[in-house]
Amino acid sequence: MESFRKNLSVFLAFFTPSAGWLFLFFIAPLGIIFVYSFSETISLTEVELTWTFENYGRLLEPEIQTLFWRSIWLASISTAVCLVVGYPVALVIATAPAKWKPWLLLIVILPFWTNLLIRTYALLNILGTRGRVNEGLEWLWTKADGFLTLIGLGAYDLIGEEFEPIVFLGRWSGVIIGLVYVHLPFTILPIYAALERLDRSYLEASLDLGASQWRTFRSVLLPLTMAGVITAAIITFIPMLGSFLTPALLGRGQVDMIANVIERQFKGANDWPFGAAMSLFLLYVTFIILAIQAFAAMRKQKRSERRG
Amino acid sequence: MTDAIISIRNVTKRFGSFTAVEDVTIDIQPGEIFALLGPSGCGKSTLLRMIAGFETPTEGDILIDGKDVTDVAPNRRPVNMVFQSYAVFPHMSVADNVAYGLKMDRLPGAEIKEKVAEALEQVKLTDFAHRMPDQLSGGQRQRVALARALAKRPRVLLLDEPLSALDAKLRDAMRLELVKLQESVGVSFVMVTHDQSEALAMADRVAVLKDGRLMQLADPMTLYKHPSDTFVADFIGRVNFFEVEEFKPGSAEVRVQSLGAVTLPTPVEFAAGEKLVLAVRPEYMRVRPWDGTGVAATLGDVGFQGDSSIVEVTLESGQPVQVLSGIADTPVLLGLEPGAKVGVDVDLGEGRVLRG
Ligand SMILES: Nc1ncnc2c1ncn2[C@@H]1O[C@H](COP(=O)(O)OP(=O)(O)OP(=O)(O)O)[C@@H](O)[C@H]1O
Ligand SMILES: [Mg+2]
Repeated sequence: MESFRKNLSVFLAFFTPSAGWLFLFFIAPLGIIFVYSFSETISLTEVELTWTFENYGRLLEPEIQTLFWRSIWLASISTAVCLVVGYPVALVIATAPAKWKPWLLLIVILPFWTNLLIRTYALLNILGTRGRVNEGLEWLWTKADGFLTLIGLGAYDLIGEEFEPIVFLGRWSGVIIGLVYVHLPFTILPIYAALERLDRSYLEASLDLGASQWRTFRSVLLPLTMAGVITAAIITFIPMLGSFLTPALLGRGQVDMIANVIERQFKGANDWPFGAAMSLFLLYVTFIILAIQAFAAMRKQKRSERRG
Repeated sequence: MTDAIISIRNVTKRFGSFTAVEDVTIDIQPGEIFALLGPSGCGKSTLLRMIAGFETPTEGDILIDGKDVTDVAPNRRPVNMVFQSYAVFPHMSVADNVAYGLKMDRLPGAEIKEKVAEALEQVKLTDFAHRMPDQLSGGQRQRVALARALAKRPRVLLLDEPLSALDAKLRDAMRLELVKLQESVGVSFVMVTHDQSEALAMADRVAVLKDGRLMQLADPMTLYKHPSDTFVADFIGRVNFFEVEEFKPGSAEVRVQSLGAVTLPTPVEFAAGEKLVLAVRPEYMRVRPWDGTGVAATLGDVGFQGDSSIVEVTLESGQPVQVLSGIADTPVLLGLEPGAKVGVDVDLGEGRVLRG
């Protein structure tokens, strides 16, 4: 850093492009949105900066409150599912023979090589009422029905008169499946990293002292990898909360999340100031979550420093 | 020996095509300190981990108290281990660490408290009960690991390189501490070490391993005085080897040219065609100014150690030899020029003829 200050021209040569880029495409648009959020729509195409708080006030409307809570709820459930599914997967990878590990990790990040839109359309195909999941279930139903007829129970319609497909699309179940599918790698990787760092002898010590496998997981493995789990939860939850494509396609407009309503403000509703206020509110929520985590980490650090 | 507390019977352990432990049979007696000694990678940790249950023998059986535990999980074996890294749980206080294993036995709370206090007392950590592990020194952490394992009242305590993570001074102090602790609690210790002086100082019996094979199992004195082969002789302390040029099979006598064509009796008989060496430890030799007697040699370096000196000399045959000189001889030797002619006396009674 010292030498950078001395060679100002070198410093500027390196700094200007990146700083310019950041300013042009991040800071400036954010500033514009900030200004919009305090403005009023005065005609179809014009807004005026009046420093009004009305756009933020509207966030308290019951409809918007419902939307926010639904988004938080969907993201929370999906994050929980990701953690429950992701932890065992991370554990399997971390304990796999060394020569398999790169391949298993590759499988985890492989979906990133395909465009999100294409993957989401693939999910539509899988989860639709005539999709692959229901096809499989229908096949099972037919077999079960045939079996029941065979043993003379066919007349009682024990499993329904005909196969009824499970509806995922346009329901929260479909959106959760989509959110989990898209974000699972973000959950697995930090947990894997935490497991990989953990000294195996802690687990062996626990077993040696008479603990069962489950007890060892609960009392040693999980507490010692909790930092990784929290990181995983945060970096899964935040992008989920702002998800647009997944609820738009899998929710079919019936399971909107915040981003879907924001989009509508900028397009159909033509209410840019309110859209801006909602966007910034989402940003504030994200900041608050990150701040809480940073604060907790700092306190933990301080505590261990005081000890050491 | 049916009263052995641990019986390792013809145990072999392979990792893929690599054999880490090969056909080892050892009986460990109640109340003894038993050391597994050998160079790095010889399979000592693997053997210890098989006793603890973390590895399963490829062949052979392991018995604890006469019961076959080969397929018993580690959490169901009546042995406890002190890990090389100690593995003291960092998210639990000292007392909680010690209580952990007792809780697994579902003991009542009051009894756990009592046993924790007793175990901490044994390792002199009573005042540290509520500290967290990151507030402890390395030596204290090791004592937590000891207390945690001993609180379970194991039949045998397993220790993997218990002193290697400590600095030299603490290590010497802990040797004695560990021996005293073992005497007071009375359970057998099985310890792994690559430090021969540690094994000799602490153990009642030592098993020397090399490339997964048991080379010799004996008490420290026997190991030192009567090593079974050149590897053990070399690994346990300093030794000089002299080539045996001639021996008659059956006569139990060998001839060593480099020591001035001496002939000496051997306790064992060797078969024709075997390659033999005579092993003599430096302390059974003496260097003095040349007076026409003894084996002629030239003086090399004299390494003064305070209470004695390690003297390097070269015999007329060209062979380098190390001699441990007592403090009485040292001033004379330090006064001689390097390269001076000296005489070496060898106490042949303490020489051992070994397969080379
Ligand atoms: N899980 C494993 N997979 C493959 N090879 C192993 C495994 N564990 C140990 N080995 C090999 O077995 C041999 C013996 O290992 P072990 O850990 O018992 O050695 P050691 O005598 O304890 O050595 P050190 O003094 O270095 O600890 C080594 O060559 C090691 O590479
Ligand atoms: Mg080892």
